[in-house]
Amino acid sequence: MDVTWYVVLSAVLFAIGAGGVLIRRSPLVILLCLELMLNAGNLALVAFSRAHGNEEGQVFALIVMVVAACEVVVGLGLIVAMFRRRLPLNVDEMRGLRG
Amino acid sequence: MTFHAPHIDYAGLSPVIALTAGICAVLVGGVFSARRQRLVVSVLSLTTVAVAAGLCIWQWGEREDLVAGALRLDELGLAGALIAILAAAVVIPLSWREPAAERPGSEPRHGEFQALLLSSVLGMVLLAQAQNLVVLFVSLELLSVPLYVLCGSAVRRTQSLESGLKYLIVGSLGSATLLYGLAFIYGGSGSTDFTTIRDAVGSGLTDDPLVLIGIALAATGLAFKISIAPFHQWTPDVYEGAPTPVTAFMAVATKAAAFCVFVRFFEVALGPAVDNWQPALAVLAAVSIVVGNIGALGQSSLKRLLGYSGVAQAGYMLVGIVCASALGVNALVFYLAAYTLMNLAAFAVIVVRERESGYGDGIKAFEGLGRDRPDLAWPLTIAMLALAGLPATAGFMGKLYLIEAAVDADYTWLGVAIAIGTMISLAYYLRVVAAVWMRPAAEPLAPEGAGMPAMAGGSPEADPLPSLAAATAAPRPGTRCLAILVPAWLMAGATIFFGVLPSPLVDWASHAGGALTPFLA
Repeated sequence: MDVTWYVVLSAVLFAIGAGGVLIRRSPLVILLCLELMLNAGNLALVAFSRAHGNEEGQVFALIVMVVAACEVVVGLGLIVAMFRRRLPLNVDEMRGLRG
Repeated sequence: MTFHAPHIDYAGLSPVIALTAGICAVLVGGVFSARRQRLVVSVLSLTTVAVAAGLCIWQWGEREDLVAGALRLDELGLAGALIAILAAAVVIPLSWREPAAERPGSEPRHGEFQALLLSSVLGMVLLAQAQNLVVLFVSLELLSVPLYVLCGSAVRRTQSLESGLKYLIVGSLGSATLLYGLAFIYGGSGSTDFTTIRDAVGSGLTDDPLVLIGIALAATGLAFKISIAPFHQWTPDVYEGAPTPVTAFMAVATKAAAFCVFVRFFEVALGPAVDNWQPALAVLAAVSIVVGNIGALGQSSLKRLLGYSGVAQAGYMLVGIVCASALGVNALVFYLAAYTLMNLAAFAVIVVRERESGYGDGIKAFEGLGRDRPDLAWPLTIAMLALAGLPATAGFMGKLYLIEAAVDADYTWLGVAIAIGTMISLAYYLRVVAAVWMRPAAEPLAPEGAGMPAMAGGSPEADPLPSLAAATAAPRPGTRCLAILVPAWLMAGATIFFGVLPSPLVDWASHAGGALTPFLA
């Protein structure tokens, strides 16, 4: 099986995700972009798993999904805590910490 | 066909099992002991770390694969585990007052705080022993996710939330990059097991584009975690904003565990491709040493200063990996242990001073400390001098060891870079020492008793209570907190001891390096 196109697609997804993390300002959109990056990794893992004919990549992808969910839960929790303190939800305005 | 029960080596897994049981016990203890939660939970978590440390020492010297090769029990993994456990054992007393009830009458949160801390330790113990890409990724996340929560755990402080979110975003970016790199390494080699990857890479895949892309992305992801220079921007911000005991834990334990897996992953799995990654890591180390030391020069917050100094120290330690020799690994493990002792002593003093003076962690809070509080001034001075690498401290021995390893591996210019970095670093470490001993004490700030006026639609989380603010901002002068002073003195004493008599620590570190000898040139 030729995996090239799957890998290219995953690379495009990864680049979109990384670009989004760098340029978007809303923490919610940044979390979405982080998910996109992790899922690009998953796609690559599953494609390679198929190419090699072993299941290790698929197991890895399943576990990554669980981990991604954990990250989102913590991220959303922090965003809700900031929202309740009426802090601006804009990463450009988080300038409390600088030296 | 018959069913063969898998062989499970419970003895080898015992530190992991003890920590897991301890986390459950701490959580349950926190729920069922409302009034004396702090005491019950602290005793439970200290017992857990003591048992885990004992089991690690018991298993010292064993070398075998655990759980079908997912984990590797050897001295390198146990050394990383012991450093993480030591950091937790110091941070538990340091956080005695940290996660206190956010407002009077609400439930104390020590149970959650310490259960999260122990979860992170569990992630570190697993990470230091990981021998499989899946375990590497999962344990790195098990280490990181509780830390994101702990950084944001002081929910009433804007800065703490900000640092939590920053760490989450940057940390997840690092994890995603690492995952993508691991996927490519899997794609190139067809396996997730370190030794199988080594065999595959060794049989003609050293210049395979998939593997090379994978190495670059994985190195970037790990560099985010250990704050190597171009990927370090989050470090000072997160260190400053997080509650100080959490910063102390993050600074030392994360580095120890991540460096252990870094060395195992690169020397074992990617060992045959050493010619491809060695120059790249050497450049990263040099950049890190320069950027960290120069960045620290202009800092006025001691936590930020230690953040930048951590970037520089990570650069020094990366030299140990670049060497790709047993001597380099020994030097790395020695330096990790020394770094842990020095930083914990410094952070313990910051925890006390932050509470006593109104200046937070600014250098001003430490002026005149030598006259007013010599019991705090000495550990801080020793820690700063050791971080700067003055002789008769463990920091000096560590740098000497690293430079020797660099020269031995024909990377003499990196040894020179360490020496130059050390010279620059004297400027900011000595500035702290000068503030402690040569300046009069700064006028204590008046406590801000007024707080924010209650306004319509105010939420209980958002409005600080004046009584609480006054109580925390104006502690009684000269409070003696033995729970913090004793660890600070122990760490400072150990820093001096291993600087004067380094041989026990050198032996310990060379056992750890010896575990990788079959894979090293």
